[in-house]
Amino acid sequence: MTAPRHGRRIAAAIGTLSIAALTVSACSGTGDQGEGGGSDDPIVIGISLPLTGDFSEPGKGVERGYEAWRDIVNENGGLLGRQVELKILDDQSNADRVVSDYESLIAQDGVDLVFGPFSTRLVVPSARVAQEYGMLFVEPAGAAEEVFEQGFDNLFYAAPAIANDHYNNLADYLLALPEDQRPETAAVAAMDDPFAQGTAYGLRDKLEEAGVEILVNEVYPPNTTDFSTIAAKIAQSDADIVIGGTQYQDAVNLIIALQQLNYQPELAAFSTAPTNPEFAAAIGGATEGILAPTGYSPKSQFPSNVEFVEKYTEMHGNPPSEDEANAYTTGQVVAAAVEAVGCAEQGECQQELIDWLRDNEVETVVGPLSWDETGKPTGAHLIQQWIDGEILIVLPEDVKEADFLFPKPTW
Amino acid sequence: MSGALLLQSLILGVLLGGLYALLAAGLTLYFGIMRVVMIAHSAFLILAAYLAWWFNRETGIDPLVSLIVTVPLFFLTGVVMQRLLVSRLKPLTLTMMSVLLTFAVALIIEGALGFFFTGTQRRIPLPYASASLDFFGAQVPVVKLIAFGLAAVALALLFVLLKYTKFGQALRATIQHPEAARLVGINTDRVAGYGFGLGLATAAIGGTALSLDATIYPSLHWHWIGPLMAIIVVGGLGSIPGAAIAALVLGIAQSLLQLPLGPTWAQTVFYVALFATLMFRPQGFFGGRLAQRF
Repeated sequence: MTAPRHGRRIAAAIGTLSIAALTVSACSGTGDQGEGGGSDDPIVIGISLPLTGDFSEPGKGVERGYEAWRDIVNENGGLLGRQVELKILDDQSNADRVVSDYESLIAQDGVDLVFGPFSTRLVVPSARVAQEYGMLFVEPAGAAEEVFEQGFDNLFYAAPAIANDHYNNLADYLLALPEDQRPETAAVAAMDDPFAQGTAYGLRDKLEEAGVEILVNEVYPPNTTDFSTIAAKIAQSDADIVIGGTQYQDAVNLIIALQQLNYQPELAAFSTAPTNPEFAAAIGGATEGILAPTGYSPKSQFPSNVEFVEKYTEMHGNPPSEDEANAYTTGQVVAAAVEAVGCAEQGECQQELIDWLRDNEVETVVGPLSWDETGKPTGAHLIQQWIDGEILIVLPEDVKEADFLFPKPTW
Repeated sequence: MSGALLLQSLILGVLLGGLYALLAAGLTLYFGIMRVVMIAHSAFLILAAYLAWWFNRETGIDPLVSLIVTVPLFFLTGVVMQRLLVSRLKPLTLTMMSVLLTFAVALIIEGALGFFFTGTQRRIPLPYASASLDFFGAQVPVVKLIAFGLAAVALALLFVLLKYTKFGQALRATIQHPEAARLVGINTDRVAGYGFGLGLATAAIGGTALSLDATIYPSLHWHWIGPLMAIIVVGGLGSIPGAAIAALVLGIAQSLLQLPLGPTWAQTVFYVALFATLMFRPQGFFGGRLAQRF
């Protein structure tokens, strides 16, 4: 009896279980919409989402966002006077499924428009299918740089910025400070994950280029739970600022480990976790001054967002989060193109929609969006900071809810 | 690399190793008594951590107090589990089938935790969560110190229990030679049941210690079982002092190796030690006899 044998056994058992899970999970697409052609027919939009499997949590969030958009559009009289129908298939978080899903949605079901799926891993293969059929492909997720390096000419990311640009407002602020107030050293710790690393490295590289010295640069695997040694390295370096490319539990554990070692940076920026509703309770309220970039805030005052938050809260009892908002944004972007061009069907119309989006700016719930030739949005994320037990927008200046505290108060 | 950082990492490594030691002690106990590979050990660990969190949320009292309930509860659960499930397995294929059985138990616990407490990641808000003591310029986090203290006390109690009590002698006799133990009048079935209960009781203590300084979620136990399995093989299957020493050594090694290698490669220390042990000293460094039979 040896441990490697257990290992194989466990692996085999896990394999069996996941296959069972795949077989059990049902396909959510129902009904035949037929060919959408006539002007009174509903506009059918084909979507494949990870409703089961690894990405089912965010996948369902995106689904809620798409459905909220459909309901609100239909309530207001539809698109081009036609009602909107969604045809949503479950890709089980599987990149092979996502390809065949979009193939069948476009070729067999003849949907009029498609919306993107969730996650970089699924966005790239599905965008390729859409490209082959010349379909406009607006997607709510897939913020990693590589999405825009594939040479797609039909893809648009419906969010303010890709991961590497999340901190742009913060970087601009720091680099505009007078020389003697600027941070001189930084410590970086990032999860081995393209999104988490993208956010942290975007800021790190901009600071490094401007002469900030990077004293610690750690990468940890996603299964890391003990952060004490990473924290010890950061605390020992006594860097002016700390940047965390984090998801959730890693950020919480790292922040507490840093606090245990009495490390007091002038600035602490962590992606994702600080905007989580559980965050303040998890770290015992010692949140003072922690920063996070966010692509969406239900409190933001963009005109369509007020309506979205109100209607969404009515439907679901709670305000939307970023996944829902990005999905809703996708709907808004496509709708803007459709209304402007005046068509919604396969064929030449798709290229007209693409061309229109290339040249125009769209007002959305995450603010005005426009894109470069690769489909990369040209904006940056809002920067939020924990101030007196609340997370408030502090950058950029024109939409701020509170003044940015730098150096941050002690935590 | 400065001396201060080395000292700091050493302290953190010792504190981490202490917790590993307690958890590995329980795991090796099951194997020693019954040749059972208890995949669900770390699932019970997370269950105890969740109970501590839930207790704290409902009552506002320090999670350590939950030990008064969870330790006896886990002991009883262990006895029942051994009597009703594990003892029904055929002796010939016991070790292999116990992997499947306890794997199923682990999945049930994980699923139940997700069902009752959702997959949201939880952490107990403690007033002393970020407090630390100064030790020659290094910081000793209070929560880690408490967890280490709990582990040390529990291990000491376990040692005294096994070494100096009648039950302990009976348990050790059962570990060493079940047939001979039966011949001298030991009810090995009952002893095995209590032994199993004892193993789970260590999981209750370990889980509570863990909950003080960890963000917990239902699937967290998979991160623990691998290193723990490696530790008990290195220490010698069935040897409690072996498991404790191996845990401490590997815990410190992991912590120190993070300095030059970074967190990704430092994790592999458990498996490198495992492979080295299997290649050069398959009976483990402290166990000896027992492991050779497998």
